[in-house]
Amino acid sequence: MTLLAEKPAVESPKPVGGGLLDPQQLWRSLPSAVRKLDPRVMWRNPVMFIVEIGAVFTTVLSIADPSVFAWIITVWLWLTVVFANLAEAVAEGRGKAQAAALRAAKQDTVAYLKDGREIPATQLTLGDVVVVEAGQVIPGDGDVIEGIASVDESAITGESAPVIRESGGDRSAVTGGTKVLSDRIVVKITQRPGESFVDRMIALVEGANRQKTPNEIALNILLAALTIIFLLSVVTLQPLAIFSKAFNAAAPDTVALDGNGVTGIVLVSLIVCLIPTTIGALLSAIGIAGMDRLVQRNVLAMSGRAVEAAGDVNTLLLDKTGTITLGNRQAAEFVPVDGVTAATLADAAQLSSLADETPEGRSVVVLAKNQFGLREREPGLMPEATFVPFTAQTRMSGVDLGGRQIRKGAASAVMKWVRQNGGHPTEEVGEIVDAISGSGGTPLVVAGLDPGQPARALGVIHLKDVVKAGMRARFDEMRRMGIRTVMITGDNPRTAKAIADEAGVDDFLAEATPEDKLAYIKKEQDGGRLVAMTGDGTNDAPALAQADVGVAMNTGTSAAKEAGNMVDLDSDPTKLIEIVEIGKQLLITRGALTTFSISNDIAKYFAIIPAMFAAVYPGLDTLNVMRLHSPGSAILSAVIFNALVIMALIPLALRGVRYRPSSASALLRRNLWIYGLGGVIVPFLGIKLIDLLVQFIPGI
Amino acid sequence: MAGWLFVITLVLALVAVYRPFGDYMYRVVTGTRSNVVERGVYRLVGVNPSAEQTWGVYARSVLAFSAVSILFLYAFLRLQDKLWLSLGFDPVTSHVAWNTAVSFVSNTNWQAYSGESTMGHLAQMAGLAVQNFVSAAVGIAVAVALIRGFASRGSGELGNFWVDLTRITVRVLLPVAALATLIFMVGGMVQNLSGGTDVTTLTGAAQHITGGPVASQEAIKLLGTNGGGFYNANSAHPFENPTTWTNWIQIFLILLIPFSLPRVFGRMVGQNRQGYAIVAVMAVLAIASTALTIGFELHGAGTVPQAVGAAMEGKETRFGIPDSATFAAATTLTSTGAVNSFHDSYTALGGMMPMVNMMLGEVAPGGTGSGLYGLLILAVITVFVAGLMVGRTPEYLGKKIGAREMKLASSYFLITPALVLIGTAAAFANGHNSTALNVGPHGLSEVLYAFTSASNNNGSAFAGITVNTPWWDTALGLAMLLGRFLPIVLVLALAGSLARQKVTPESEGTLPTHQPLFVGLVVGVTVVLVALTFLPALALGPIAEGLS
Amino acid sequence: MRLPAWLSQHIAALRALLVMTVLLGLLYPLLFVAVGRIPGLSDKAGGSIVGTSGSRLIGQAFTDADGNPVLKYFQSRPSKAGDGYDPTATGASNLGPESVVDSPDAPSLLTQVCERSLAVGKLENVDGSRPYCTPDGVGAVLAVFYRDGLTGPVTRAVSVNQTGTPFIATYEGVTVESAQPGQDYQALGGVITPIRGDAPGKPAVPADAVTTSGSGLDPDISPAYAELQVPRIARERGLTEDQVRKLVKEHTDGRALGFLGEPAVNVLELNLALNGK
Repeated sequence: MTLLAEKPAVESPKPVGGGLLDPQQLWRSLPSAVRKLDPRVMWRNPVMFIVEIGAVFTTVLSIADPSVFAWIITVWLWLTVVFANLAEAVAEGRGKAQAAALRAAKQDTVAYLKDGREIPATQLTLGDVVVVEAGQVIPGDGDVIEGIASVDESAITGESAPVIRESGGDRSAVTGGTKVLSDRIVVKITQRPGESFVDRMIALVEGANRQKTPNEIALNILLAALTIIFLLSVVTLQPLAIFSKAFNAAAPDTVALDGNGVTGIVLVSLIVCLIPTTIGALLSAIGIAGMDRLVQRNVLAMSGRAVEAAGDVNTLLLDKTGTITLGNRQAAEFVPVDGVTAATLADAAQLSSLADETPEGRSVVVLAKNQFGLREREPGLMPEATFVPFTAQTRMSGVDLGGRQIRKGAASAVMKWVRQNGGHPTEEVGEIVDAISGSGGTPLVVAGLDPGQPARALGVIHLKDVVKAGMRARFDEMRRMGIRTVMITGDNPRTAKAIADEAGVDDFLAEATPEDKLAYIKKEQDGGRLVAMTGDGTNDAPALAQADVGVAMNTGTSAAKEAGNMVDLDSDPTKLIEIVEIGKQLLITRGALTTFSISNDIAKYFAIIPAMFAAVYPGLDTLNVMRLHSPGSAILSAVIFNALVIMALIPLALRGVRYRPSSASALLRRNLWIYGLGGVIVPFLGIKLIDLLVQFIPGI
Repeated sequence: MAGWLFVITLVLALVAVYRPFGDYMYRVVTGTRSNVVERGVYRLVGVNPSAEQTWGVYARSVLAFSAVSILFLYAFLRLQDKLWLSLGFDPVTSHVAWNTAVSFVSNTNWQAYSGESTMGHLAQMAGLAVQNFVSAAVGIAVAVALIRGFASRGSGELGNFWVDLTRITVRVLLPVAALATLIFMVGGMVQNLSGGTDVTTLTGAAQHITGGPVASQEAIKLLGTNGGGFYNANSAHPFENPTTWTNWIQIFLILLIPFSLPRVFGRMVGQNRQGYAIVAVMAVLAIASTALTIGFELHGAGTVPQAVGAAMEGKETRFGIPDSATFAAATTLTSTGAVNSFHDSYTALGGMMPMVNMMLGEVAPGGTGSGLYGLLILAVITVFVAGLMVGRTPEYLGKKIGAREMKLASSYFLITPALVLIGTAAAFANGHNSTALNVGPHGLSEVLYAFTSASNNNGSAFAGITVNTPWWDTALGLAMLLGRFLPIVLVLALAGSLARQKVTPESEGTLPTHQPLFVGLVVGVTVVLVALTFLPALALGPIAEGLS
Repeated sequence: MRLPAWLSQHIAALRALLVMTVLLGLLYPLLFVAVGRIPGLSDKAGGSIVGTSGSRLIGQAFTDADGNPVLKYFQSRPSKAGDGYDPTATGASNLGPESVVDSPDAPSLLTQVCERSLAVGKLENVDGSRPYCTPDGVGAVLAVFYRDGLTGPVTRAVSVNQTGTPFIATYEGVTVESAQPGQDYQALGGVITPIRGDAPGKPAVPADAVTTSGSGLDPDISPAYAELQVPRIARERGLTEDQVRKLVKEHTDGRALGFLGEPAVNVLELNLALNGK
């Protein structure tokens, strides 16, 4: 379905961004932008509200005293407001399309209650128990309390491969709107009507109940203060202008200044040019687009606050398995004891593992094939072979080939078997086992018994966790961004340390219980740090709730999903890193455009002040460094530039400022050069260029 | 060349004292042991010196002390004829007394009166000069409270105002002022209780040589960045500034505390480099402004300076142009407002610089304490914008700059421009600009200067304007009062908000606030956000005059 | 009875203020008044009085009762303190750099400068002309009327500071009128235009001789102004110019430490020394 972009590759840290602006999209958003001119909507954005009031005011003035200059200014002031609304409308429009797709998925579903009644899904309430058969759509969010089924969740995740949902454990959560493909499950509903996952998702992508985030509020305060200052600075100019004009009686009236002071049109123009309209216009679009970028990555943030917090994270808690390492341990090496060749050991190990379908068992077979060219033998082709399966009691597995027996398993179990079969375990095996354990690996001892001979240990298979490719570089990058990475694992400290060292994380939490995780998070927070983590199990819920950014896996329990403030539909724990980057990008975009907006004022002063007052004090024409054509063209050019720059920056606001992980100083330097210095220079060029065109308008 | 050497030696001297004097003040404000005098004061005042105050209590203490001071000083001036050493002067009129009381308590020292013809010696030394000390101490105390907010680990406490007031007065202001008094007396400043000496000049005319406890008042006038002169002519008066070297010392005293306080800041937050960054911002702005002022004055543009051949009107022979311009820059870069030459007769652009210095918010280095807290507010605003650009919730010294902090900081930097602009516009709208001596853009400058000076608690003036009318006394009094105490309350509220926060540890992702880049950024924000606000008004005043 | 918190706070504040007033307002200044009695400091603390004729630090006017220079004395700078050098009314002119149009009750700063320059030039027998000054010693300023306000051909020109013959006959081909007293030509639409004239760029009369100081009590004049007055003093006192110059040199304070301030000549001390010759 269209909502979901392709799943980003886990290993390649692709820079966050994407999403080009389609001119058609602008056109489609225009009606919505015009509807937003309603003052009841506009006042939520104080900066643009002032512009709108100004536009109304100049409209009245233009009607009362029409002139080409007045009307063109008026039109461009209105356009300024419309452009700002357009930015927001376009950002919202993208979400709307996604919401529509989601709604389509939420068809009229019938719920079959366990007691036999049939009710529309919309009437389900908390605690209802429903039965879902193969081919039916699950009517609401809930937990499987009975049965097991394969479920197609593509409507939510975009992933077409079915997933298994079963009662109990961490795979019990099902989502309304997904489809049972096989079998039958009984589901206990855990949602209130209208608050289902899909409902919330729709609300989120539509930006319906978008709350301003803390940073956005703080920035809005700054913008409001700047607006007030510039408003004051312009309004209080009037008595001074009247005084100056009266003093210099020789000065002729101009479009900008007459005996009553600065004309209303020009006064409004000056205010609009000075107040931070650029950032004011784009601020909400930036926020919506930031959430949108998360959605494109299949992450649902339950609040904008969480996205912002992601940018602030100081500590990332990452589960070892699946995030830092590939899912399971793998055979890495065959270590034979004295008198046994590695090939012999490999052969024995492979034989013993042929029937072992666990990933570890497969990895032994594969390693033997890769290192010694031992071809895999089909168990079925060896009729004499009897495979001994692994049991919790014996803690080993193996194969009996006629009289020959091979066993592999935990050191203590295998050594016991050797002794029972008349063998004498050598010291050497113990040393090898200890060395492997010490390095964080898992030793599997292989022993053999040839007919008539005592059993003997052949050697040890070294199993180890394999750290995913590129993780180390990723963590180095994190460190440069000032983020500590902490690996969470159930392994013993020695094993954990070895893997931590190999992966390059800053810290690890070994033999971690849910309580340990919670304590660790609290400790970090007490030190003033913000913590992000991922989790899926019910026992992760307290830690997810405590963390500042808690990303629940979609495969997880509903308790986990409730506790976190984001849900990753792909259930990809690595995505936390991308979430952090998106959070940062959101803040950077706001900061960069604020800087740009403020820097722009310098050029505007140099355009408008001489235009207003050079007629009274000709010396002030020295300030007209752009050599603009006339007072009228100068003011008009500044107003037009001010409006056009909003349009020009909409794509940037939606896409976000390019972000590459690096240190704060490097980021600041880069963004300051581009948006600070650029913000100073660009308007000088822009206004001059516009002036070159505008001066040909008759009446200017 | 001599003029540049004058500036360079001042810079070197300030560099030399930055560490030792800053460290000394650090020990004073962080020390816990009281000496005999201080214990006596605490007992008489009835405070427990070890009781910590939250921001609210601290602010109420500052306000209570200032309110009592205004009332006391007002009564003092109104009753001066009933007290000793009145020299036969009448009680100060009610509107001048109000204006003067607010003016001295707010560390402005705007003078709507002429000292030698209005104030008796007792009113000067026991009324006005006392406020020279304590208003300076209040400023430093508030700055220290703000620093404590940054340095706090979450306790929410800001120290004790009464202790800060006492310790700063007794251990910093009084000893340095005493030393300066002695030096000034050696330089020729008068220090007596005489009503004056009548002499007959060589050509037989009568001349009344005035007396008074001038040296002791001068010392604190400059050290406390107060600026209220004993005489109308202020530091241009030979009794207030007799020699070229007392002139150097006066400028040094003006800049001493404001330029050393960043050291206290650095020490208290545990990172001296943060202090260096703040002092670098101050120095960059101050040196640039001083150089421009000297340059404009030496260039001597304008019809009258061109006719004269030099911008010597209103300047003393012994000081000459560069040293006068340096004083003008120093006095307005701080909240001093003393003058050794009359800014009204400066060249148009040379006279604009003192105005611009004040419009920057008097942060480079600003008044005693007020300069530091003003600059820290600007740093907070800079951190906010720059912090966003590095992709984190902005934090300064480990304290997050959130909505509440921005609300307080933004309100702070709204207040002064609002007072200046509204005041100036009101004067023009109501025709009160007619008391300006000069016409046209220069008259506009006089009005603009008056409100800029009052709102920023500077006290210097384009003195051509007549301001001892009821309207002016009231309006400027309000500007001084609001321009001083609203910011103080906001600063203390910010301090309280910061003090309640835990400290976020620094990391690679933290915006570095000690590097040249950040210094440049604060300078940029100060110039663009603060000074440019006034560009339209300046364009109709000094710029119009200077570019004609 | 317990006082409400706000009241006890204000009482503490009052106590603190009273303690500070005693300490800083009485003990501190009075201590230094006492220090000022110490021999060696007492002269300075008392005002650096020289005999009965004035203070070394306070300038005075060497003029007669009518305000005319007494020729045997070096003259001080012009002063705006009261009627001149009045320590009970210190202050400056406070006129700005573009104060060029005389008003009926007060001459502009430019005219004051021109007048003084002319007078000093006459007194010292040198050229008293200055840029922007008319030969009769007022500001050379025209109100120029243009057809289109600030631009276009000149239609009228008035010498605003002169009621007699204008200092130039024509401006841009238009005959220059003299001013009607009390008329505000700027309000009528004239553009105020100071005319540089052809006076030398470096006038013979130095800057400090034509400007008032900030205090109005400036005890000093520049060495250049002293040098200008040397021939007159020598003539009036029957001394050689070199004798006078030597005295001037003795009473010239160079820059302290070589870079502080400007060289200055203390006029009272110089005149006292002359009297002692």
